[in-house]
Amino acid sequence: MEEFLQNYGFLLVTLVQQSLLAMSLYFPLSAGQLSLASPGFYALGGYVAAIMATADYFAPWRDALGWAIFPLEWLIAGLVSALLAFLVGVPALRLRGIYLALATIAFVEILRVVCLNLAITGGAIGIFGIPQLFESRWGYIWIFGPLLVITLIFSYRLDRSRVGRAFKAIREDELAAGAMGINPTHYKVLSFVIGAVLAGIVGAMSAPFLNTWNARQGTFDASISYLAYVLIGGGRSLWGPMLGAVLLASLPELLRPLKDARLIINGMVLVIASIYLPFGIAGALQRLKLSTLKRYASLRGGR
Amino acid sequence: MSVILEAHRLSRSFGGLRAVNAVSFAVEEGEIFGLIGPNGAGKTTLFNLMTGLTPVSSGTFTFRGTQLTGLPPHRIAGLGIGRTFQNIRLFKGLSALENVKISQHTRTVTGLFGGIIGSKTSRLEEIAVEEKGWEILKLVGLADRATEIAANFSYGEQRRLEIARALALDPKVLLLDEPAAGMNAAEKQSLTAFIREVRDLYNLTVVLIEHHVPLVMGLCDRIAVLNFGELIAVGSPEEVQKNPAVIEAYLGAE
Repeated sequence: MEEFLQNYGFLLVTLVQQSLLAMSLYFPLSAGQLSLASPGFYALGGYVAAIMATADYFAPWRDALGWAIFPLEWLIAGLVSALLAFLVGVPALRLRGIYLALATIAFVEILRVVCLNLAITGGAIGIFGIPQLFESRWGYIWIFGPLLVITLIFSYRLDRSRVGRAFKAIREDELAAGAMGINPTHYKVLSFVIGAVLAGIVGAMSAPFLNTWNARQGTFDASISYLAYVLIGGGRSLWGPMLGAVLLASLPELLRPLKDARLIINGMVLVIASIYLPFGIAGALQRLKLSTLKRYASLRGGR
Repeated sequence: MSVILEAHRLSRSFGGLRAVNAVSFAVEEGEIFGLIGPNGAGKTTLFNLMTGLTPVSSGTFTFRGTQLTGLPPHRIAGLGIGRTFQNIRLFKGLSALENVKISQHTRTVTGLFGGIIGSKTSRLEEIAVEEKGWEILKLVGLADRATEIAANFSYGEQRRLEIARALALDPKVLLLDEPAAGMNAAEKQSLTAFIREVRDLYNLTVVLIEHHVPLVMGLCDRIAVLNFGELIAVGSPEEVQKNPAVIEAYLGAE
């Protein structure tokens, strides 16, 4: 067990972390908004945590708070992300579909270039030697794991609440949702902010986990990876993005014996899935379950 | 009786086309008010102006004295104006029950965190929303298929579900855009009775657009006739039927 964790602990924590980032896309998507801004908020959250953990200015805080500085980092990362998401979301969410996706990619790029050039973010070198919260990589499961559980419960509860129904209504038909008394702008921005807060907190937790933080965290590539998680897993249920993240993030590891050929397999999985699983794996499973139920019902009905 | 809706010189142009041109009328509380006219007369545009989906070019529209022009659609809906669409716009991927739960949005207040932690208000509201959803589905005769997704419903059932969704909004005024479109004779018959029933049950004022003339004549207390964006007649079914301008619009000048 000890040896297994030694070898695979990092991978397992990474899978949970990637699942969380995939879910940060799910919240805006549940209100019909295709946002690729998550890597931007992830990077932002990481910088907040890295700066609070290393900058001289925060030294008295660290001395006073001890380990409690970590939860404070997550809280502040979440708040900063929420504020920025609100400021970006209000104008950006006037755009629809692919235009919103493009605007959010532009946001990620702008943030990256800004972080590359600021002194406080360490410029191109970034921030390194971030103090650790746990002795081993594996230990980080004790923060990412509970966050995943909280996110799943949050998402499950949201789905069955008034606000979650408003999200779904906008996803289905924004104009009709408006005519039924739902303020589309309000709920679109809210869904965007929820996703951003999650990405920001994951970033803040990831800064010590990865030990260094620089402008390579949260790039356009990451946007595309998270989108792939959602496409493969399915964006219509809360399990889909998680399933996609676990599958795609573990694929490079599983295919390691194939060396460079694994990239071909990686690409093939994406192509095949988008052709044969239009609603992702979760969507396919859902349909399978429905058809089985129907067959069972018709058997019992004697038809 | 008092006036509930009042349009004053309501106009809308699309480029050079005057889709609705200085239309003025008043709808009395509790009446069933018909809006008829040839294709392209501007009936649906008028509905869209009334519900805020299309901004007005000029003129005003008031609901019980409150100015509605310039308000976004969700505010107008919140004031108590529910509608259906000519080209059915249900939340197709969601169940019938969810459709009627969603439109109770403005009558409930649970926020994000109240819903997540399950506050007392949110739990009470959920129970009430669920109950009212079932009640309305029973009324339109779709309760036995409440958990099926709307896309699976037949055309006539989708029209009924759309009315149910608008009723769940708890409106004072119900705007129906061609409720009988695509229905057979028997369905049209029962629709007439159904519209009267819901009007009495919920004390509604109903404004409806309809092409099927016998249905309109039999159902409406008063009728307004639009032609090329202009209001050419308002009155009881008998008056409108005898009006020369109306006859000309429908049959052409002799």
